[in-house]
Amino acid sequence: MIRDVLRKPWLWSFVAAFLVWLATMAFTGFKGGGELISAALTFATFFVIVGIGQMFVFTLGPGNVDLSIPATMTLAGSVAMKLMDTQDSMIVIGLLVALVIGVGVGIFNYILILGLRIPPIIATLSSSFVILSAAIAYGRGLRIKPPPLLAEFTTVQVAGIPVLAIAVVILAALMGVVLHRTIYGRSVTAIGQSIRAAGFAGVPVERIRFLTYVLSAVLAALCGYLFSGFSGGSSLSMGEQYLLASIAVVVIGGTSVAGGNGNLPGLWGAALFLFLVQSMLNTYQLSAGLRYLATGLIIIAVITAAGGQKTLR
Amino acid sequence: MRRTTGMLALAGIAAAAVSGSAIADTSDKRIALSNNYAGNSWRQAMLRSWDKVTKPAVEAGIVAAADPFTTAENQVTEQAAQIQNMVLEGYNAIVLNAASPDALNGAVKEACDAGVTVVSFDGIVTEPCAWRIAVDFKQMGKDEVLYLKDRITEECNLLEIRGLAGVFVDDEISKGIHEGVSEYPNFKIVGSVHGDWDQAKAQAAVAGILPSLPEICAVVTQGGDGYGAAQAFAAAGRDVPLIIMGNREDELLWWKEQKDANGYETMSVSIAPGVSTLAFWVAQKILDGQDVPKDLVVPFLRIDQGNLEDNLANTEKGGVANVEYSSDDAQKVIDDAKM
Repeated sequence: MIRDVLRKPWLWSFVAAFLVWLATMAFTGFKGGGELISAALTFATFFVIVGIGQMFVFTLGPGNVDLSIPATMTLAGSVAMKLMDTQDSMIVIGLLVALVIGVGVGIFNYILILGLRIPPIIATLSSSFVILSAAIAYGRGLRIKPPPLLAEFTTVQVAGIPVLAIAVVILAALMGVVLHRTIYGRSVTAIGQSIRAAGFAGVPVERIRFLTYVLSAVLAALCGYLFSGFSGGSSLSMGEQYLLASIAVVVIGGTSVAGGNGNLPGLWGAALFLFLVQSMLNTYQLSAGLRYLATGLIIIAVITAAGGQKTLR
Repeated sequence: MRRTTGMLALAGIAAAAVSGSAIADTSDKRIALSNNYAGNSWRQAMLRSWDKVTKPAVEAGIVAAADPFTTAENQVTEQAAQIQNMVLEGYNAIVLNAASPDALNGAVKEACDAGVTVVSFDGIVTEPCAWRIAVDFKQMGKDEVLYLKDRITEECNLLEIRGLAGVFVDDEISKGIHEGVSEYPNFKIVGSVHGDWDQAKAQAAVAGILPSLPEICAVVTQGGDGYGAAQAFAAAGRDVPLIIMGNREDELLWWKEQKDANGYETMSVSIAPGVSTLAFWVAQKILDGQDVPKDLVVPFLRIDQGNLEDNLANTEKGGVANVEYSSDDAQKVIDDAKM
């Protein structure tokens, strides 16, 4: 039983997050530990939303990656904010428009990948230029505030736990069921393990890949919408840190980079870990160069620990 | 000669007359803007200011063309190629916001050798043949502490929000802040985070370090991070300290709300994106045959408690406080540099 739990690749991201938290607390004498967890949950929420989409894409197998996540967040966030123009009555319409943008981006990405036979890494990178240009042309980089009700919803906490984090825990659990229990999810895993075998077994490979890229873009759009609400408006650079973060949470969370083996709980551990590492290094007052160095080394250590455990099987 | 009616044209002629030089004709001269990045609100405002000032100037016949070009990837190689193209296309002057202070020097030298005037601003280049309209970022950082020492005389813990690590501007502003702090020992910097001049990133970074910090009495910033800091303090349930702002509309709006609600006092300082128009006029004056010193300094745009409302009213919703510079303003900057 314990051995089963120890074998879970996602365990290591939570262990790492906890150790980093302890290390931070050792420095401050256990002052502000609860507040730090609150803050970590708040920001991890957004990493997890985009991480879910990226994880499904990764699970499709080698070469599959969505680099258009930051641009999609920016476009969806800025269009929704401008459309809602701080009116509470427009919240639902704003959300729908953001999601439609996500669907549009997903379709566009897939046309590039399948229709034009461009490798996903190039296709999504180039589409992100198109998408970001659209965001610039539409919003001209202006920062428009979210409706008060949306800002309230994205920041409200119950007993120190952000409500949005609870919602995203539920979302992650649902997506876990989708990945492991539905035909769609199992098809994604099957394609990731062997695209030829999946094809021979009658899995509609292209339709599944299409749905997966759309899913990733829709989640990115949702994240852009919520994050704009949380941080007091959209900005052209709001998505920047989400490119690396979306990939890092997937990999640190124990999902196989080679595909065919997705992992949802690990996203949360990894997202908390990423935020806490930054907080720890900031708390230690290391210089920026040392912080980057330490961040890199710590991430390598966690991935090695998680990967090393897997080979024992 | 074309009939000049625009105010800008008149200003240009007036300035030329004042400076004593003959009204040399720049009406057949073509100026290009080489810009390395457009992906934030400051750069967007910079490009809009360029259009707003140069289009009437072109219509009035002060110059023949003033075309803006922006590279897609914010890459040195790309901008070097862009500069080479501008030389081939026969522009007389290139106004340059550079991706790197030294990596473009080769391309800039080639342009100079081809007889093209190069005026760099904001992101300046070190190549001696180019003009530099630089921001005294160090002074900007120091000014923040000088403001604080007038407001606060007791012991005071500071939180420093820095910009993008490894960037010249970030180092300079931070140096100025630290220099100021060392002169006034009642201030102590107890925490420092990088907010990358972005409200959302600053908010995340401040939220992460705040639980470990003692009471903070003031936050020194670099611009584009003040509102995020305020939100992080509010979310942590702490009293919001004195936060120096950076002229963004959301920062000014928040300041105004706090001012009306509880008399909150602070100041805001940054560089107006309209500095591109200052560079335009300087380039025009160089083409005009004026003797312009190679190193010029951009004036700060500072907002205080008294002129907050005026500046807020003039700031575009979601944008950054801005001024466009006139030919006269450029003349003043040049004359100051000669003194």
